[in-house]
Amino acid sequence: MNQTNRAPYFFIAPAVILFLVFTAYPILASLYLSFQRYEGGSYSFVGLANYSRLMGDSIFWTALSNTFIIFIFQVPIMLILAMILASVLNSQLLKLKGFFRVSFFLPAVTSLVAYSLLFSVMLQDNGLFNELLSYIGIGPIPWLSDATWAKVSIIMAMTWRWTGYNMIIFLAALQNIPEEMYEAASIDGAGKIRQFFSITIPNLKPIILFAGILSTIGTLQLFDEPFNLTSGGPGNATMTLGLYIYENGFEYFDFSYGSAVAYVVVVLVAVLSFVQFKFTGDKS
Amino acid sequence: MKKTVLLCSAMVMMLAACGNEETNDNVTDGNGGGETQTLTAWAWNINIPVLEEAAERFAEENPGFELDIVEQGTPDVYQQITTGLQAGGEGLPDIMLIEDDRVQGYLNSFPEAFLDLSKYGFDDEHGDKFPEFKTELLTLNDTIYGVPFDAGPAGVFYRVDLFEEAGIAADQIETWDDFIEAGHTLRDELDIALTGIDINNDDGVYRMMLNQQGTFYFNEDGEIDIDSQESIRAMEVVKRLHEEGLNENLVGWDAWLGGLANGNVATAPSGAWLTGSLTEQAPNLEGDWDVMPLPAFEEGGNRAANLGGSNYMVSANSENPDLAYDFMAFFSTSEEVQLAAMEGGLFPSLNTIYDEDIFSEPVTYFNDQPIWDMFAAMMDDIPYANYTGNYAVARDEAETAQAEAIGGRSVEEALERAANQLDNRIN
Repeated sequence: MNQTNRAPYFFIAPAVILFLVFTAYPILASLYLSFQRYEGGSYSFVGLANYSRLMGDSIFWTALSNTFIIFIFQVPIMLILAMILASVLNSQLLKLKGFFRVSFFLPAVTSLVAYSLLFSVMLQDNGLFNELLSYIGIGPIPWLSDATWAKVSIIMAMTWRWTGYNMIIFLAALQNIPEEMYEAASIDGAGKIRQFFSITIPNLKPIILFAGILSTIGTLQLFDEPFNLTSGGPGNATMTLGLYIYENGFEYFDFSYGSAVAYVVVVLVAVLSFVQFKFTGDKS
Repeated sequence: MKKTVLLCSAMVMMLAACGNEETNDNVTDGNGGGETQTLTAWAWNINIPVLEEAAERFAEENPGFELDIVEQGTPDVYQQITTGLQAGGEGLPDIMLIEDDRVQGYLNSFPEAFLDLSKYGFDDEHGDKFPEFKTELLTLNDTIYGVPFDAGPAGVFYRVDLFEEAGIAADQIETWDDFIEAGHTLRDELDIALTGIDINNDDGVYRMMLNQQGTFYFNEDGEIDIDSQESIRAMEVVKRLHEEGLNENLVGWDAWLGGLANGNVATAPSGAWLTGSLTEQAPNLEGDWDVMPLPAFEEGGNRAANLGGSNYMVSANSENPDLAYDFMAFFSTSEEVQLAAMEGGLFPSLNTIYDEDIFSEPVTYFNDQPIWDMFAAMMDDIPYANYTGNYAVARDEAETAQAEAIGGRSVEEALERAANQLDNRIN
């Protein structure tokens, strides 16, 4: 091996070492941990016991179904909203674009805890939301204390935070669509709506896939909102897999069982990403 | 290729060197007799000035003593303690603040991680200076693993002015039924809620009622007792408060304290430590608050219970366990230190100071009543609560049961389900 052949390895070494130490090792260690059981100060190997315990754990199943309910409603709502906002902000007619872009993106850079606290204040029984609703004659809604509304609250909070983030991704993609396409379409008599469905969406397809997969991973790991807003309650109505992993580790000191739940999330992310690639990915 | 390997190992060594430096420092400190001796401590908010004060006083007799206090939020402290314990005690400070309800969980899961204080004779020498429920709580297999600090003797904090306006006599409230009746009067007269219990996330009021009846999630033998008659009776009170429209569901600590400060809620059954938070959050309500003992379940029944409180534990990995023990023994039994803690609203569990003047003095904020005296009188009657190592799981189930009972299930059903589910989860 001569001098020039070696150079690239030197340059990537720091990144590779950091990756091995702080990413690869924890991933493997937690897989190993999920086959063990901790009792009275020491670990012992128990094979698949943690996984079979998962099968009979009603809280795990509740967490799984909650995560999916939130996923099924939140991701499409958010992506559609983000796409509409991006198209509007991309329009030639709109003034003050910079201002609107910043305002919509701002939630994505606020602290997770700060915004959760704000939402929790606004969603109290006598908070801002109910106050505003009372002006239009809608009775107080138990945002955080009712099983269904608590999920709705979490979906609202997440949508508020992440729509702007996805909008920026879409906006960047929109600017790569040549203006001539729209001009040609309008000469052929296609209206704005027709243009959106026949030009914008097909051109955005790879980006929609990208945003979809990012959101899928994010939602499956959902932790901050239920932790800060509802603590997984009422009952276990907003318990998510992410929160359950945390509770097992840091509240019940059962890191092995938490690791087993974490690996379920890993498998789900892999499967869902694969499915999304299959159905929305470009064939070529 | 050889060079690549060299480079890699150099980098690894650099990483490792960062970790080593600290240990080396400590060793020199420890051996340097007569030089500075430093202990590290993890704690949060109002405990910090108390630690500082204690370190200063301790240094007077132990020249060169220094305490390095790392101040963090409560959840951060616990996350780091748990991570450190999980890593076999790596990276833990010498002393750490741990609340009552966490102690047994840590002791059961990490029995080797904390310094055995019986070996130093703490229980023999100082044990009777603290109420039994506190020392019991720090004991596993007849060995004590921590020093008691503050306690949370419980009472009902109430708004004197609102009670007067509604025509309620606080001293007539003896049972929980009386309490609920007072709630109706408040609702009818002033349209104000009696309590601000966070139904889904906090079972504190229920836990106090268990404790005052001498029971808990687990009985004395550590068996699940969450579906006992006492427990059903306690949960019924919470359910009635909600169903009869007397409770405002305030979600989270900030909302609750806000409700108390802005007058939406007239009472707060809670531990003595609430005094500190109330005076800080609502200084304008000086003179409007007072405290009465918890109502009993029947006339003449026990009204003493505990909610919250904390302790200090020493890491078994401490480089300087003797010094850490000496400091902690001084900290927990020094009357000056404990009196300093009271300025921040922390109620000391050290019972040798209850005849100090401060206990009989009226407190302006609390309607000029000697509230410390009332709390002190309660200390010996507080029953021991068996937290066990499974407290956190049990509390999770109790809170779920509370949410279910409010959501329409019968209390018996909800608690029975909780007991079964708890049995599944811990056995």
